Amino acid sequence: MTPRVWDIIGRRGWGYALSALVILPGVAALIYYSASGQGALNWGVDFTGGSYFQIRTERPATTGQVRAVVNRFATGQSTIQRSEQDIFIRTRPLAPQAREGLLAALRSEFGTVAILREDEVGPKIGQELRNVAILAVVIGLALQVVYISFRFKGLRYALAADAALLHDLLVVLGIFAITRKEVNSAFVAVLLTVVGYSINDTIVVFDRIRENLALRTREAFDRLVNRSLLEALVRSINTSLTTILAIAAVFFFGGVTIRDFAFGLLVGIFVGTYSSIFNASALLVDWTLWADRRAGRARAAQDVETGGATPAPVPAGAGPLPGEGGGRRRRSRRR
Amino acid sequence: MGSRVGVRLLLILVLLLAAVQVAFRPLAIVGRAPVGQPLQLRMNLGLDLQGGSLLVLEGQDTPAARATPEAVDAAMRVIERRVDQLGVVEPTIQRQGANRILIELPGIADPQRAIALIGKTALLEFVDTGTTQLPEGATWSADGRTVTLPEGAVAPSAPGARPPARTIALEKKVVLTGAELETAQAGFDQQTAQPIVNFRLRSGGARVFEEFTAANVGRYLTIVLDNEVISSPVIRDRIPGGQGQISGGFRTIEEARDLAVLLRGGALPIPVQVVENRTVGPQLGRDSIEASLRASWIALAAVGLFMLLFYGLSGVLADLALALYVLMVLAVLSGLGATLTLPGIAGLVLSVGMAVDANVIIFEKLKEELRAGKSLRMAVGAGWNRAIQTIVDSNVTTLIATAVLFLLGSGPIRGFAVTLSIGVLVSMFTAIVVTRALVDGAAAVGLGPQVARVAGRASR
Repeated sequence: MTPRVWDIIGRRGWGYALSALVILPGVAALIYYSASGQGALNWGVDFTGGSYFQIRTERPATTGQVRAVVNRFATGQSTIQRSEQDIFIRTRPLAPQAREGLLAALRSEFGTVAILREDEVGPKIGQELRNVAILAVVIGLALQVVYISFRFKGLRYALAADAALLHDLLVVLGIFAITRKEVNSAFVAVLLTVVGYSINDTIVVFDRIRENLALRTREAFDRLVNRSLLEALVRSINTSLTTILAIAAVFFFGGVTIRDFAFGLLVGIFVGTYSSIFNASALLVDWTLWADRRAGRARAAQDVETGGATPAPVPAGAGPLPGEGGGRRRRSRRR
Repeated sequence: MGSRVGVRLLLILVLLLAAVQVAFRPLAIVGRAPVGQPLQLRMNLGLDLQGGSLLVLEGQDTPAARATPEAVDAAMRVIERRVDQLGVVEPTIQRQGANRILIELPGIADPQRAIALIGKTALLEFVDTGTTQLPEGATWSADGRTVTLPEGAVAPSAPGARPPARTIALEKKVVLTGAELETAQAGFDQQTAQPIVNFRLRSGGARVFEEFTAANVGRYLTIVLDNEVISSPVIRDRIPGGQGQISGGFRTIEEARDLAVLLRGGALPIPVQVVENRTVGPQLGRDSIEASLRASWIALAAVGLFMLLFYGLSGVLADLALALYVLMVLAVLSGLGATLTLPGIAGLVLSVGMAVDANVIIFEKLKEELRAGKSLRMAVGAGWNRAIQTIVDSNVTTLIATAVLFLLGSGPIRGFAVTLSIGVLVSMFTAIVVTRALVDGAAAVGLGPQVARVAGRASR
């Protein structure tokens, strides 16, 4: 093929570094906000309980003015935000009288107040929704891990894919922690969709690796993985491009209500693709090389005769049924 | 081969027409003749798109009654009657768990009035307060022993010099309850032109009412709703026939009407509390539909253009398959009676991006087979067979995620799970069957070289 080969695996250190560069600030933000008592993430009323209003006022209102009014009726911390024309108010649970009072006060300050949207979630419901959300993420993740393990019949592939998955979730969580975007029930959908997408992407690359391994070329494992990556690259990039194009349309044109949701999907799909190209396979290579070195040392100590016959180590965990001992057996058969 | 391709393309055309018919109903059967009607997407819209309220009420235990499932069911029947009176089209009312009631009120104009009406216990009581007249707004304690007077109200005439107490001891001696009401109507008092509620009691209640009023002329019969005094009229005369009126306490005729609605529907056997309320105004719903439709078109156009630029003629074929894909997803959603929500539309758009994935996988495998020197026909066969495995595998993960969301998610999120999973399933079909037929068809009409050119593009 083309003489110049793009060496992704060879420069996998950069891939890891870039990931760390994104993940570490996110994790730092999670810890910082958690320690400062603001909550690691900006939990929405779905999970905390409380009232949420999206209103449009007749006369222009700044967030400061609105906050002054809200503080008269709501106890605890309230969040006031605004878009071009709408104002978003989030408070602790409001008693009916406080709600009436708040709306009346807003009307007297800013003229007619149209309530575009109102969510009122009791504290008990908030707790239930939170539990369900955690349950959904845990079950979703567990099922995906089971699926990968089943699909790859081998720990090494499964764990590499899981690590990439964890990476994607950390990035999404971290970015939501840094941007303080609201985390609500829809965010669970974002996480699970990202999980599905990320694994999907990783599987396609791993599939290619196994397809190439089955051809039994005498290629070094890291070279083979790099070639597989490049072969799957067009597909990976094209697919995430079309998906990102589609979701970007929702992000930019789909309206304020769905913007954060689309944002989460955008980030997740982007990192999902990134991790399957730059991290998942790289981890697989590192692990396999490490295992090979260890196996090589053990073998050299045991059996000098069959030792250094192959200059480039053929991977141990490479076959369709990778396993600690299986690779060695197959290799001797192959010769 | 050619004729078989023809049959397949014909079947696909039939499928296309069927999808259009199911999703948009361009033809309706009136009598026996098909009648054309304007194209309109037949789809249930979620509350977040058409506007409306979702309420979850929770039955509360009281000393008198526990919120058992039976009591909640009884409360649900009362609420059904009230909702009927609100004139909501296609409300949903169902029990959730042991002590909750889920109410969906689509397209409701004044959600706050609805909530106020639905959530009120509406226990009407006629109380014998003897010589004590209570001001409007005075409230009885839950145990019915003391009355708290509203702010600024004058205490009942006490000759002594003692300052009026805010809370007074007064036992609630209930003569009759709203359960004895036969009917209630709002109207105007003929003398004062004030809004009032006229009521008529059932025969048993009417007798009690008549006897009580006969024995207590000159004393007060206080009318209490949910432990709050509406009015405290003096009994001027014996009232026969069980007819009476409630006056005072209504600022507008609407308030009188609301009370009449509540009284006709009966009281809730247990008090309920609104534990969740999600209301979307009609304006935001319209905005959301508009914005998400625009986003969907842009997404489709962008994806279509991308495929065209990257894969040439094959991309056009994939775009055709994509168009059919969109129609089929709409048809399936419409046929299943699924409800489209705002996240649901996002799921649909996301699935458009993913639908292309199957085509991309196929084209990339096709490319490889062609590069390996196979003829177009051989390459298509081999490429497809290799691609199917990958496509099925890669979609399983998304389906796992959507299954969990469907089982555990609520409302809008469930809508997302539905559209995304249906999208993924349909996309497998269109990529594997439809694109294949189109590629075979193109080859059959001599466009083979253009399809094969895909291999020359973007080679690395």
